[in-house]
Formats: sequence, structure tokens, C-alpha cells
Amino acid sequence: MERSIEETDVPIIQIRHLRKSYYHGKLVALDDVSLDVPQGQVAVVIGPSGSGKSTMLRCLNYLEIPDSGEVIIDGIALAHASRLNEVRTEIGMVFQQFNLFPHLSVLENIMMAQRIVRKRNRQEAQEVAEELLNKVGIPDKAGAYPIQLSGGQQQRVAIARALAMQPKIMLFDEPTSALDPEMIKEVLDVMLQLAQDGMTMVVVSHEMGFARNAADRVIFMDDGKVIEDTTPEELFRAPKHERTKEFLGKILH
Amino acid sequence: MLLDRSRFRDHRLSHSERRNWRFMLTLIGALVLFLAYFLPFFQTRIASAHTTFIEDPAVTLEFPVLIHGQHATHAKTLGNGQLESVEVSLEKVNGVASTGWGWLFRSLGAPDRGALVSFIVTMAIPLVGAALGALLVVRSYVREAGVAEKLIPASLIISALSMLSLGFAWCHQVDFSTYLYAQSNGALNPGIGLWTAVIGAALMTAGIWSLRHETRRDLLNWWSLAFVVALTIWLLIRVRPYPYLEIWRFIGDGILVTLRIVITSYGFILLVSLLGGLGRISHNRIIYGISTLYVELIRGIPLLVQLLFIWFALPNMFRAVGEATQQYPAISAWFGQLRLNEYTAAVMGLTVCYGAYGAEIFRAGISSIHRGQMEAARSLGMSSFQAMRHIVLPQAVRVILPPIGNEFVALIKDSSLVSVLAVSDLTRRGREYMARTFLSFDTWIMVALCYLVLTLVSSRIVEFLESKTRFER
Repeated sequence: MERSIEETDVPIIQIRHLRKSYYHGKLVALDDVSLDVPQGQVAVVIGPSGSGKSTMLRCLNYLEIPDSGEVIIDGIALAHASRLNEVRTEIGMVFQQFNLFPHLSVLENIMMAQRIVRKRNRQEAQEVAEELLNKVGIPDKAGAYPIQLSGGQQQRVAIARALAMQPKIMLFDEPTSALDPEMIKEVLDVMLQLAQDGMTMVVVSHEMGFARNAADRVIFMDDGKVIEDTTPEELFRAPKHERTKEFLGKILH
Repeated sequence: MLLDRSRFRDHRLSHSERRNWRFMLTLIGALVLFLAYFLPFFQTRIASAHTTFIEDPAVTLEFPVLIHGQHATHAKTLGNGQLESVEVSLEKVNGVASTGWGWLFRSLGAPDRGALVSFIVTMAIPLVGAALGALLVVRSYVREAGVAEKLIPASLIISALSMLSLGFAWCHQVDFSTYLYAQSNGALNPGIGLWTAVIGAALMTAGIWSLRHETRRDLLNWWSLAFVVALTIWLLIRVRPYPYLEIWRFIGDGILVTLRIVITSYGFILLVSLLGGLGRISHNRIIYGISTLYVELIRGIPLLVQLLFIWFALPNMFRAVGEATQQYPAISAWFGQLRLNEYTAAVMGLTVCYGAYGAEIFRAGISSIHRGQMEAARSLGMSSFQAMRHIVLPQAVRVILPPIGNEFVALIKDSSLVSVLAVSDLTRRGREYMARTFLSFDTWIMVALCYLVLTLVSSRIVEFLESKTRFER
């Protein structure tokens, strides 16, 4: 497989021959997918709907359990990990539908997992939460409830919530797809900042602008397979595969 | 929504609204009520009453006025004997003693506890009502907007109560032991003061009532229905102590038994429901299978049959197991000694049955929480227990609360079935009383009213809890 960025270390995410099907094999979501993502890389996964990109992302922290194959995070194979919860704390995940906890305030949303999982005391957790809210640009919404926020604000809280665990990897599952157009930028800005800070990120997105500006690597998936895996410049300038050309032709107008 | 606090807070009476006729009416009513206490309340009072019953031996009871408990003695005696005669001697009340203040201090100075209650009920409540009504108006003049509104609910209740109290002040004069006489002779003059007080209280109530409309607070919600039913019971006891006071005394401990059974079983039911509900969404096939089997089987069998089974069949089963295991003396002895008292059996039966329904409610409530919540929690590294405990269940509770609260109300009603297990609950006590006296109508009216108070009050509490836990999603 062609590799755009040379890394000497062991990749922090290793995916080996991942297969996943639904409805007793009638619908194949992942068909022998193998990928490595080294530390600090920003990988954007694109592809038509139903191509398995979300399934792959969800397999990375075992929210979806693959039928076969291996996911190795930071040297730990998830399938054999008796400490799955521990590994998950190292992987932050941001969902399309935000999935904020509606019964908790913004601050409590960010503090909850820190206190339960990381066992931080209230003051510590609150300091972290306030700092992160500052970072995502909504320090004034600490006491608000998710329902009182706009979509863009909710998604930024969700990012802060994931970051509060100090993860090594961040997964983004179509983070801007459920947002109004004018709110997309505020979320992308936070993600861009994160990418510049050197976070390892796997982003499933249709935001080609983000892919162009922030990605080290763009992966095109279709039918549960990785079709093309290259730098954004390469992919947008001269896609190799017919299927990629067709897809890009449809979404780039 | 019945208790809409937000709307109440939003509306402040404006400057002009706080000086309109509604406040005038309230103030005038309060003043009239207050001043009425200086007028004669009664011009005659009963000096003494002799009640004679045909009984073996003959009983003569002598009551000075305003001594309580005479109903009780009366009802007890009347249970067996026949009323022969009532002789009442009257006394004219003059001067200070006959005014509202006089009556107030008289009842305040009376020696027994009943008199103190009578003081609060008949004489003090209207006075407090007048004070509150006046305070309401004065505060709205002196302070800024938003202060008076807070007093409206309390003062409306008190001023409405004060009209009832004044009615009872009159009732006191027409105690049962003398009411035959009083009715035929018109002996008791309610007095100008009493009527003035009633008019004052009515004006004040009307004033505050219309103020209530302005603040758009739905104060007179369905709590009042429970109140009315409770009041009906009280009135029945008060006005017709025989047989109602006797019934009340007879079935009173039954109410406590019913409550005890309902509350105990409800605690267990919540536990069983939670476990059953979690079992029903479990991915473990054995746990899922067991809980589904439990729910499906129990929901298909009538509660009465389950209770009868537990009460009659289970002890026999224990005995049979004890006999079958005679080669293991320890086990055999344990089963041989195992006894169910009727109370345990009742709680067991209700718990098993209602737990099955509750499990379905919990299952539905937990499933109604979007699975993204669970995923988000798990992706943060929480265990499935932690995610359930901190994220899913707190949200599910808000969904579960209304139906599980209704189960509590239903449980109160269905607890009447445990009367077949020789548990002396409300229903059984009613049956026992009826068997003794054949007063079927009075007994069952009383029992029904008691159940009504319990169910209505608990419905309102459930509603209140719902409004407290409601949130937008």
C-alpha cells in the first residue's frame, strides 16, 4: 500500500483484515479492510453512504464488533483486551448526532466521565472542563443544558467532552452532517486547531475543504473496501480509480 | 399542565392591577371578617344535655357544651341500644362571652385536646384567613410587584377554609347529642356575628379567587378533589356519627394495614421491576430468557389466583419438600418450619405480580433512551454498569415515572384483593363490619371514600413528581 507520510514508529492504529456483515452476511459492510494510522496523522475517510466508513470508525473502539480481523490500538489488540474500557478512554469519539447527555448541564457533561472513569475529584474535573470550554470557544455556556445550545455549540461541547479524557486518538463520525451550514465552520475550526496541535485523528466526513486543509491523508472507501489511500493533493488533483473520479465528480460540482 | 409555575412567575400584576376592585374586595372581606369577631356569635348556648338510652342497664350520658368525644361514646352506645330521649337545657349568652373573641378564648381555654383542635378549626382559621387576606393587599400596596402574587395561593386556600370553619362553628352548637332537639325547637341562634363573618370570608374568597385568575395560576387543581373527598368523610363522621364514626373507628386500622402492605410491596416491586427490566434488555440469553418467561407467565395469571396460590398452595409445597428431603434433616427441618404469615404472603403476591408489569415499564423506559447515549458513554470509557447507572437510568426515570406512578395507584386498589388472605386490610375490615351490622350501604361508601382519598392523593403526588423531573430532550 502506498504510504504518503513516512513514519518510523509503530502506527498507533493498526487495522488488520477487518470484516463485518449484517443480516447474517446479506449486507457486507467491511470487506477485508487493513489500515495503519501513525501517531499524529489526520486521516479523512470519504466515500458514498453505505460504503462502510462509519462502520470502520465504530470498529476502531469496538462500538461495533467486527466479525473477523484485528484492531490494535497503541499495541493492544481490542479483541483480546480485557481492558476494553481502558483502551476506550484513550480514544475520543464525536458522533453525528452529538449524543450529549440531555439531563446534565454542559459542565457536567464534560465532568461526568472524568469523575467516574478517570476518578478525578470535582475541582480537578471542573478545571479541565472549563479550560476545554474555553478552547472550543463557549466558556459562557457552562451552566446551560444541551437543549439550549445550537447544533454547532452542542458539537463543540461533544468534542470538549471527548477531549476531557485526554485521549491519544480522536474519531469523528460525520461531525458536521447534522449541522446547519452556518454552524459547520465553528466546528471545523475546532477540529482544525486540534489537527494542528498534533492529535491523531480519523475523520469520516464529506467536508472536502477540511480534507484539503487539514488532512495528511485521504482514504476513499466504497463497498466496504479501501479503494484509494493517498494525500489530499493527489486525490483531488488526479484520482486513480474510476470509482473515485465518479464520486468526486458528483460531490465537487 | 396543572401546576404551571413558569407562567405564574412570568405574570406580575401591574401597577393598576394592584389597585383594582379585586384587591378592594379582598380587603373589605378581610376587614368584615375581622370585625365580625367583635359581634355576638351565638346568643344562646347549650348549658347541658342529657341523653338516655334504652339498654340493659339503662345509660344516661351528660354532656356539657363543647366537650368532644361525645360522638364516640354516643356511637358506641347506640351500636347496641336505642336512643330514648334527649334533654337539652339552654342558657342565654350575654355580653363579651358571646362574641367571636369570647368563643375563641373559651375553646382555647378548654382542657382537652379535642377542644384545642376545635379552636383551631372553628375560630382560628377564619382569623388567620383575614390576616393573610389583609396582608396580601397591604403588601401589594407597599412593596413592588411580584410580592403579593406569592401570597395568593395560601390565602385563597385559607379563606376558602375559613368559610368551612365558620360552618363548623355552627355545627359545634348542633352536636349530635342535641341535634334532634335543636332541629325541632330552633334553639340555637347562629347569631349575627357568625353570618357577618361568613359574608366577610365569602367576599375575601371571591376577591382572591379573581386575583388568582389574573395571575393565571391554576391553583384549584385536582388536589381539591382529594380534599373534597376527605372532607366528605369528615362531614359524614361529624354529622352522622352513628354509624359513620363507628365505621371509621372500625376500619381505621385497616387503612394503616393497606398502606403498610402497599408501601412495602411497592419497594420490592421497584426492585423486581428494575432487575426484570434490565433482564429483558440483556444480551445474555439465559438472563433474557428467565426474565421474559417471568414477565410472560405472571402477566397471564390473574392476581387473585396468584395470591390464592401463594397463600394456600405454597405452604403445602413447602411441607411436601420437607417430607421429600427427609434424608437431609437440615433441609427437611428448614422447609418443615417454613411458614408464611398472611402479611408476607400478601406482599409476596403483589410484588410478584406487579413486578412483572413493572419490568415491562422499565424495559420500555430504558429502550426509549436513544442508543447513542449508551454509545457515547461507552466511548468515554464507562463500563456498561456505569453508563446505565449515570447516563441511561437517570434519563429513563423520567420516562418511567408516570407509568410506574400509575402502578402505585393501581396497587392501592388491587391491594383490596389481599383481603382474601385473612389480612385485615381496609376491604376486609369493611366486610367484617358489614357482617356485624348489616349496614351495607354506609360501610361500603365509607370504604370507597377511604380508597378514593388514598388514590387521589397518590395520583397528585405522582403528577407533582412528574412535573419536577420533566425536561426537554
